[in-house]
Amino acid sequence: MAEIIATADSIEQAAQLTAAGADYIYAGEDEFGLRLPHSFARAELTDLVQAVHAAGKKVLVAVNAIFHNDRIGEVGAYLQFLHAIAVDMVSIGDPGAIHVLQKESIPLPYLYDGADLVTSSRQIDFWARHGAVAAQVAPEVPYGELVPLMQHVTIPVSYLVYGASAIHQSGRPLLDNYFSFVKDHQERTDRARGLFISAPHKPETHYSIYEDRNGTHVFATNDVNLFGELDRVHALGIHYWKLDGLFVPGQQFSQIVAAFAHARDALAAGQWTSALVADGQHVIADNTPVNRATDTGFFDIDPDEVK
Amino acid sequence: MMQRKLKRPEVLAPAGTLEKLKVAIDYGADAVYIGGDAYGLRTRAGNFSFDQMREGVQYAHARHAKVYVAANIVAHEQDLPGADTFFKNVQATGVDAVIVSDPSLIETCVLAAPGLPIHLSTQASSCNYETLNFWQDEGLERVVLAREVGIDEIREMRQHTDIQIEAFIHGAMCIGYSGRCVLSNHMGLRDANRGGCAQNCRWKYDLFDMPQLGEKHELTGVNPDGKKEAFSMSAVDMAMIEHIPDLIEAGVDSLKIEGRMKTVHYVSTVANVYSAAVDAYMADPDHYQTDPAWVDELWKVAQRGMSTGFYYNTPTEQDELFGEERKRPRYAFVGEVQAYDPATETVTIQQRNNFGVGDQIEFYGPGFTHYAMTVEDLFDEDGAAIERAPHAMQIVTLHCPHAVAPGDFVRGLKVRRHAHVRA
Repeated sequence: MAEIIATADSIEQAAQLTAAGADYIYAGEDEFGLRLPHSFARAELTDLVQAVHAAGKKVLVAVNAIFHNDRIGEVGAYLQFLHAIAVDMVSIGDPGAIHVLQKESIPLPYLYDGADLVTSSRQIDFWARHGAVAAQVAPEVPYGELVPLMQHVTIPVSYLVYGASAIHQSGRPLLDNYFSFVKDHQERTDRARGLFISAPHKPETHYSIYEDRNGTHVFATNDVNLFGELDRVHALGIHYWKLDGLFVPGQQFSQIVAAFAHARDALAAGQWTSALVADGQHVIADNTPVNRATDTGFFDIDPDEVK
Repeated sequence: MMQRKLKRPEVLAPAGTLEKLKVAIDYGADAVYIGGDAYGLRTRAGNFSFDQMREGVQYAHARHAKVYVAANIVAHEQDLPGADTFFKNVQATGVDAVIVSDPSLIETCVLAAPGLPIHLSTQASSCNYETLNFWQDEGLERVVLAREVGIDEIREMRQHTDIQIEAFIHGAMCIGYSGRCVLSNHMGLRDANRGGCAQNCRWKYDLFDMPQLGEKHELTGVNPDGKKEAFSMSAVDMAMIEHIPDLIEAGVDSLKIEGRMKTVHYVSTVANVYSAAVDAYMADPDHYQTDPAWVDELWKVAQRGMSTGFYYNTPTEQDELFGEERKRPRYAFVGEVQAYDPATETVTIQQRNNFGVGDQIEFYGPGFTHYAMTVEDLFDEDGAAIERAPHAMQIVTLHCPHAVAPGDFVRGLKVRRHAHVRA
């Protein structure tokens, strides 16, 4: 049966998520992980791991930043810490972090997460031969490509079934630079500020944009929601369903996770119905923030349409 | 006094076509990078057939230069069949290395073309020494660093790794970590990591907050001229001409110039400048100074403003394209010298862009030779006096009191814009 990976913004939300059916809580510290709902300091992360384990569930910690020299030197100690507190798995996207993990013989399973770069079974197999136990497939890989990919991969894969999809990461403070140029100082350009950009001649678009210590991040105009496609996701054999609550706070996200967990269970039991889909979509619509919208992203795009 | 031992870095130039490959090498490049008919990120560049590749390699090797083939897409499932044959064919042409970013293609290359050196593309966003060590352990020869890496970071990397380091020194820059941008995929179904990048970062965007869908609160500001300034993510170009000593002393093995889509004019000019600078530093590092003429020369082919990117600090608004376009002199490539007769002081030129009597032109050649003059007369192939040379590839002559050489190029300042140019 598929396992659900859900991001957490607090220990309290993690408790709701595990109760809602999440199998893995995804968390981390923004010095090492990308685009997290909350940056867990080490003491807080220790408490989180204990709480999640007490609930019989697992913790996946993000170590998927693009590291420069200053931070790669800290990665070894951080991975040792994660092993010491019994984290179940880490996600890594920088080969330098894999090199550290293996050089220091730290027995932590890792999921390879190179964001948009993970696009083929052969690449996933490369990382599998380098110790990866799972891989996060890019959201830009559509169903038509997932079918052959899933026939060839040798390790479990994870796929985004709900949440914001990052489409750009810059090392530059693009918002601060802009506001400096137009001399309109803004106190905040972080995620909580809630900024968007829209493309030329497409005023209906609304790409979330914010800055943090890892640079500037831009997200797809609509968040991914594959609830209506879960029968096909299930049939593909995708083992990890990733739900990202970066822009969906607290209880709202837990409700959405619960809907997906219910769907997962129904599919496993052969009880997938159109009524269940309709109910789930209502739950998602009711709990998606009022300034966000969802669609199926790249899932149904014909691979031949992409130039 | 102890002599310092410095390793001369190669100057690596882009070559979108066989002509540009030859020009880049003639103008001082120690190596060029090209694209094949598949697996490269510049689908709109004039990519090489295997026969052209072979000819380019022969030309380069005869002049002690190297040729690298970029195969740096991020492959999807359907791209992989045929990759082994591609790498075998590339290896058979005698190229010196391939530039790859996707591990699936790296592995394919290793198996299909054993012994063919592999360079990791900048698309892999390598920013730390442990990443370089990972790839060195995989047997790669070189890593092309991310453009986000600073000069101090390169110095530190050099202390932790022996793998060859290649760094961009000139040209257009991605505003994001290369490879970690799929704006083009989402905004136009063009895969940025498979050669389809539509440069959406350079678009003009509205910026707003939005408490609920459709309720936009505009935050778009105004520029110093009082005009609306749309949000953009467009970087000025990189130029490290004033910092060549830092790059060499930091231990960079290859100085890379961006631009497989760029013109012969650009390739010749930029390769000429950087090879002159590297030669000058290697000849006498203690008394080296940046020649202002090098900087002036680069401005003649500049498409945007220039900055040092991330080498010395995190880029600010000064390193992005905001506001009115900065005015600068405009030059056009007007021709190539075919012959020079010192007895009559007559130069024969094959026209590439409309020019004529009264225009200011400048001859430039390999080794950073220059001669500027005003065109005082002009003759067609039959010797008849003409005012202008409007026809593409037209052969013309003019009087030039300074000796120039076949293969030298000619650029013109403020040539007429209604030129008849054949692509």
